[in-house]
Amino acid sequence: MEIRRVAVIGAGVMGAGIAAHISNSGIPVVLLDIVDGGAASRSAIAEGALAKLLKQQPAAFMHPHNARLISTGNIEDNLGLLAECDWIIEAVVERLDVKQSLYSSIDRVRKPGAILSSNTSTIPLQDLIAGLPTSLAQNFLITHFFNPPRYMRLLELVSGEETRTEVVSAVRDFADRALGKGVVQCRDTPGFIANRIGIYWIQVAVTEAMALGLTVEEADAVVGRPMGIPKTGVFGLSDLVGIDLLPHLLKSMLRTLPENDSLRGCAEVPELIQRMIAAGDTGRKGKGGFYRLNRAGGGKLKESIDLESGEYRPTREAQLASLSAARSGGLSALLAHPDKGGEYARRVLLRVLSYAAGLVPEIAEDIPAVDEAMRLGYAWKYGPFELIDRIGADWLIEQLERAGTPLPTLLQSVRRRSFYRTVDGILQYLTGEGQYRELMRPEGVLLLVDIKRRSKPLAGNGSASLWDIGDGVLCLEFHTKMNALDPDILAMIGKAIEIIPQRYKALVIYNEGSNFSAGANLGLLLFMANIAAWNQIEEKVAEGQQIYRAMKYAPFPVVGAPAGMALGGSCECLLHCDAVQAHSETYMGLVEVAVGVIPAWGGCKELLQRWVLNRLRPGGPMPPIVKCFETIATATVSKSAAEAREYLFLRPDDGITMNRDRLLTDAKARALALSEDYQPPEFNEMHLPGATAHLALQMAVKGFRLAGKASAHDETVSLALSSVLSGGDCDITDALGENDLLTLERESFMQLVRMPLTLDRLEQMLETGKPLRN
Amino acid sequence: MNNIVIAGYKRTPFTLAKKGGFARVRPDDLVVAAIQGVLQQTGVDPAAIEDLILGCAFPEGEQGFNMARLAVMLAGLPLSIGGVTVNRFCGSSMQAIHQAAGAIAMGAGEAFICAGVESMTRIPMTGFNPMPNPRLVEQFPAAYVSMGETAENLARQYQIGRSEQEAFAWASQQKAVAARDAGSLAAEIVAVADVTEDGCIRGDTTLEALAQLTPAFSEKGSVTAGTSSPLTDGAAAVLVCSETFARSNGIEMLARVRSIAISGCAPEVMGIGPVLSSRKALQRAGLQMKDIDIIELNEAFASQSIACIRDLELDPARLNIDGGAIALGHPLGASGARITGKAAALLKRENKHFALATQCIGGGQGIATLLEAI
Repeated sequence: MEIRRVAVIGAGVMGAGIAAHISNSGIPVVLLDIVDGGAASRSAIAEGALAKLLKQQPAAFMHPHNARLISTGNIEDNLGLLAECDWIIEAVVERLDVKQSLYSSIDRVRKPGAILSSNTSTIPLQDLIAGLPTSLAQNFLITHFFNPPRYMRLLELVSGEETRTEVVSAVRDFADRALGKGVVQCRDTPGFIANRIGIYWIQVAVTEAMALGLTVEEADAVVGRPMGIPKTGVFGLSDLVGIDLLPHLLKSMLRTLPENDSLRGCAEVPELIQRMIAAGDTGRKGKGGFYRLNRAGGGKLKESIDLESGEYRPTREAQLASLSAARSGGLSALLAHPDKGGEYARRVLLRVLSYAAGLVPEIAEDIPAVDEAMRLGYAWKYGPFELIDRIGADWLIEQLERAGTPLPTLLQSVRRRSFYRTVDGILQYLTGEGQYRELMRPEGVLLLVDIKRRSKPLAGNGSASLWDIGDGVLCLEFHTKMNALDPDILAMIGKAIEIIPQRYKALVIYNEGSNFSAGANLGLLLFMANIAAWNQIEEKVAEGQQIYRAMKYAPFPVVGAPAGMALGGSCECLLHCDAVQAHSETYMGLVEVAVGVIPAWGGCKELLQRWVLNRLRPGGPMPPIVKCFETIATATVSKSAAEAREYLFLRPDDGITMNRDRLLTDAKARALALSEDYQPPEFNEMHLPGATAHLALQMAVKGFRLAGKASAHDETVSLALSSVLSGGDCDITDALGENDLLTLERESFMQLVRMPLTLDRLEQMLETGKPLRN
Repeated sequence: MNNIVIAGYKRTPFTLAKKGGFARVRPDDLVVAAIQGVLQQTGVDPAAIEDLILGCAFPEGEQGFNMARLAVMLAGLPLSIGGVTVNRFCGSSMQAIHQAAGAIAMGAGEAFICAGVESMTRIPMTGFNPMPNPRLVEQFPAAYVSMGETAENLARQYQIGRSEQEAFAWASQQKAVAARDAGSLAAEIVAVADVTEDGCIRGDTTLEALAQLTPAFSEKGSVTAGTSSPLTDGAAAVLVCSETFARSNGIEMLARVRSIAISGCAPEVMGIGPVLSSRKALQRAGLQMKDIDIIELNEAFASQSIACIRDLELDPARLNIDGGAIALGHPLGASGARITGKAAALLKRENKHFALATQCIGGGQGIATLLEAI
């Protein structure tokens, strides 16, 4: 059962976002909504939704071209389009009667065996299928996406007793491989997994903060980073999703929750929130929220609401002794601290973790499903059971017992144990029966974290390690802060070049950090510049050039497998790989100009060669130089892997993997395929125009400077870049080799790095993470 | 010397580059529409035409090869007609008319199609491969100066304030709207596919809206997108022939070419080019500016136009009465044929004696054509 064409009915925020994301996988989508009687076009609603999708930020489409895969229509005139679809997703208003009548219409046109699923978050599956013909119920399930569908990895899947197993596996497989989702099977209970726990967590965290008299900054600082939760914490998150949504969520949960559910004891909407909603302070989409940017007087002042008075005041960083303790001692230190931050952390965690422990097996078959749902749906670094292991199950049990809180059965069974354990390198989890069972990954998923659990690196240092991932393939893992590149990482590339030809076939460069790499270690560069160690800097530049070049021409294939940011020096690394298998959410760019230098580890050379050899570019010697120049001089970063192809950061035959968890598998397969009869690449000598090209770019830069679109140092850095890309002093009849370009890169880099304005840029980037335009 | 006449004028609609209706139309296809428009308008026997002289400012890419010869084939004209592509930047298609005039005068042909085209969507304004000579720039820093900068230079040199430029631009828009509404533009336009009307005119613009724009070329400057001609796609064509030819073939004549001129000036103030070329043309015709009833001055920029108006003491009431390039658009290679054809048509429509068409040219030149009523 293969899904080749999909329909989404309901072009609201969720439906439209789902349609966009399906198009991101290259699958055509039909997007329908009701007829807009007042508009010129009867399909104006779906058409408007498509137009809005194209403008959405962060972008719903991985590439604007994907919009062409979406055909819009209305459910009165175009329902016939569903006959072609293998999967029909309903994302209409949360009203049972509306949904059921729609299902009857769909059933009349859908092809036999076509799957129908609802994106409901509040209506139980058993209610949805009540009264439906068995033939439809057998092909029906709930697929609950999270907003925004492109970026939130969780897909909650609920199947009914009648649902055919092929239907479940077809949707699961498609969502996993084509849409990149982490599919979590849920039971048919209110809020499924993520919102059941998430809404309780929000409610507890908000009301406890108010009860303890914490500021919003303090509350967010406590429930955020120390607990592995995004730094928006709870109030920042509420602003993001819309404060007005909270009462709705609570109401719908209360309608269906079991009588004894703990949420019932604390489900009142605080008066402040009611007042905020009435005043239109609904968060980022409204006038203000728990935080706001006050633009009065032309400035931009960040303000926070006072939870007691409801007045706004300037935001101030949370200063709590418990938070300082957490910075060095982690979550346990925070929980042990006597101040109100510690008290708040204890109250929130105790309540939320015991609540979660009481929900298995009611909402999910096992604890990994719950942890996965919270990680992927709420971006928690650790799910509730992983958190319990981190703070110690016994500590939690003791606290709960001391407070007189009844212990959920699952917690009783974990006494003196943990929810997860590793035995002989195998990760196991505790089942409801009190036994440990191996945690099975979905078929074909290969994770470095699992390999690391069961083996030792072949080689390693403080910054990088080499792992044997089987079948003759080694994996080079970076593990510095932000995966910043440093001499130790370069040394480990050298090590790989040394050992692979002896016994192995190929190398994959991959890690499981949030970002592939933020680029070269700027602290190191600034340090060397501050002590005027110019010769050493030049040596380091040359070393990087030599290592990347050696990697490129090594007698085995190298496959780069980035996910997240791959900037600066790490983008240069990928440009030297034989192939790249990128996660769809890869943000690549040569951003060196932001710190006042240019790519000098062969990045200019490699990107320029790609543009020179590109068959689709306009002819003549200038277009490749201009393209490269624009890309690098503006520090362009791709907003997806698909977009990285536009900039030639990725080649047309470089692969894109939608599911982050399948990236290593795909990269390894690519490496093995390349290792058959592998021949190292050749460098095509280039003919560059020299001074005339430099002059042409110089004139363009001058225009930008004059128009106020470039700063003084922008101009200096751009000109240094332009002289490299033009080929320096060469004549167009000269054939330039790799060394010529590397020398130009190095010379321009060294000229820039000595400039005080470059050092100012470096300093600001290191201090604030934001570029300086000087 | 044979008398030379302008005996037909048509153009395509002018549309905004990239956003307009011709973004996806090849320039060679576009110019064929204008050529066929003139053939149809005049009823001239194609076999009698000596040459197609085609102006284009960036003759590369789709405007490359010898586009004129290819346009002859595309238009289905007899293969006996020649084709030459000429480049004098913005003056290209007025140059085409001058070349035809010269040939006719010496008896080297009776009838010529003089056309111009530019797709500023499909061929960027500096071409795909700008490769300036570094040695020249050392001696002559302004050799490749950007057009926006020259507009700022004139604004500064002539102390032309921003509001004065905006008033001029606004007036150009108003005149274009009035002409469009009166059907005067439709009279010269040949529709191409479903594009039947000009796309650049901004009739709804106001002085307030113009005052809000940020400077386009210099942070501290006064020239904005609103006081510059827009990047435009379009084509224009005229029939240039001997008076004898027109009479013997019963072709309606619009105007006689009385004199022509080319002049040079400093590239950094290229916008002042029309001053010297117009004076030369007047002198050659034995006329004075006060004798000129109809003036078509190509509005590359408002500042540049105002500088020329001041130096030449032009009467605003006689200037660009159907609107100028700021409103209508300026497809570089096509503008010379448009303003010359327009001046000839206006001379007839308004029943006047003398008309002047003149343009500034990047790199520092002026070009002028003086016409008289038949």
